[in-house]
Amino acid sequence: MDTKRWIFLGFSAALLLILALIFFRGGGGERIKASVEMPPPAETPEPAPPAETKLITLFLPSEEDSLLHPETREIPASASVTEEAKRVVEELIKGSERGYLSPFPPETKLRQLFITREGVAYVDFSRDIMAKHLSGSSAELVTVYSVVNSLAFNFRPIKKVFILVEGEEKETLGGHINLSKAFLPLYSLNSE
Amino acid sequence: MTGPNEIKALKLTFLVLLFFSFLAIAISPPELKAMAAPLAQLEEPPAKRIKVIVIDPGHGGLESGAKGKFGALEKDITLAVAIKLKAVIERNLALRVELTRDKDTEVSLENRAAIANNNKADLFISIHTNSSYRRNARGSETFFLSLNATDEEARRLAYLENNSAELSKPLADEDQDEIRMILWDMAQSAYLKQSQSLAEIIQDELNSLLGTMNRGIKQAPFKVLTGVACPAVLVEVAFISNPEEEKDLVKESFQSNVAEAIYRGLARYLKIAG
Repeated sequence: MDTKRWIFLGFSAALLLILALIFFRGGGGERIKASVEMPPPAETPEPAPPAETKLITLFLPSEEDSLLHPETREIPASASVTEEAKRVVEELIKGSERGYLSPFPPETKLRQLFITREGVAYVDFSRDIMAKHLSGSSAELVTVYSVVNSLAFNFRPIKKVFILVEGEEKETLGGHINLSKAFLPLYSLNSE
Repeated sequence: MTGPNEIKALKLTFLVLLFFSFLAIAISPPELKAMAAPLAQLEEPPAKRIKVIVIDPGHGGLESGAKGKFGALEKDITLAVAIKLKAVIERNLALRVELTRDKDTEVSLENRAAIANNNKADLFISIHTNSSYRRNARGSETFFLSLNATDEEARRLAYLENNSAELSKPLADEDQDEIRMILWDMAQSAYLKQSQSLAEIIQDELNSLLGTMNRGIKQAPFKVLTGVACPAVLVEVAFISNPEEEKDLVKESFQSNVAEAIYRGLARYLKIAG
């Protein structure tokens, strides 16, 4: 074989090498997104003895100051943290028995609640939670942290809370507080 | 037949090509380049002269914000104050002032941050009036951003901030989305100290000039502040949900005082920050 042919072959080989390297390194192809983690279905609601209850603490705003005040009440105990957490949110929506303010429009419903393995509680409210009168930084802060602080305070497995509306991620409730990230509890908003 | 010279030439060709091939793979994919851009903003900003201020009148258009008992709308008051503030700054300081909206239009929260960043804002001030469930809630407060990060995340962010070179290394695909999210979330995080001192000074002026109750400075995860790449604060002037304060808020004299107070705060901040 003559020199030219060798050089041609050399070029081709190198070109192939470059292409191969770019191909394997670049890897910009679409990747299948990891599927959304579903709540573990393992937790079967066990037939608990009917008498068993659990003392929980709700955090609610008052007319006196801008803080969240504790109000304890009993809920039926369950082996499932998710079930108990649902109950806590429902009690929050029901409102205070001691004259504290309600941080939710009364029509608000809890649609769904699940807790990921990483300890993020996803709490899905009906669209009523975005009622017009709720707009305002103080109002939004109180609504959000009433949920976040109450859940994180009562349930050790819950580290953060993500608020959804009608199953979707929303930017804010009324134009202020960022809902597109999970919330850590902010206990400085609690009165004690 | 190939002589020894030809073989040498061939070897050389191979070496050169190999060199270029490595060069080709060393060039990072475009996603990495895109990520490097916001990273530049993460480095502790040098004490540069403040030239551009972006003022953000809260809400607008169909999104009217909070509503007072007598019908005052937050969006109208914030716009009136912002226009007055722009005028008083331009009258007294050699600065360019941009508004995120200058009429009653809807602007998304992310676009407000984008307007600030595209104008290369050196300071960002968002103006709001507050609203509460409490009928008697009153007073003014100034917010700066809280990150809502766990200690673990905060450590990671701090690490990235101090080791930005780390990010020029290729990342696993599944990490890239998350990192980009973090970078957007971090736009404001490099400026928290300056944002805090700006908030303190503005709050101080609101207290002395406006006579509204002092609610202090606070941190909260405000959407509009998250993506702003400069010191940024959100001023909550009085409570539109409080009928007495609502009456004040619609007065032009009160609105001028708000603008004057924020302007004085700015002027004081400029003396400190250059």
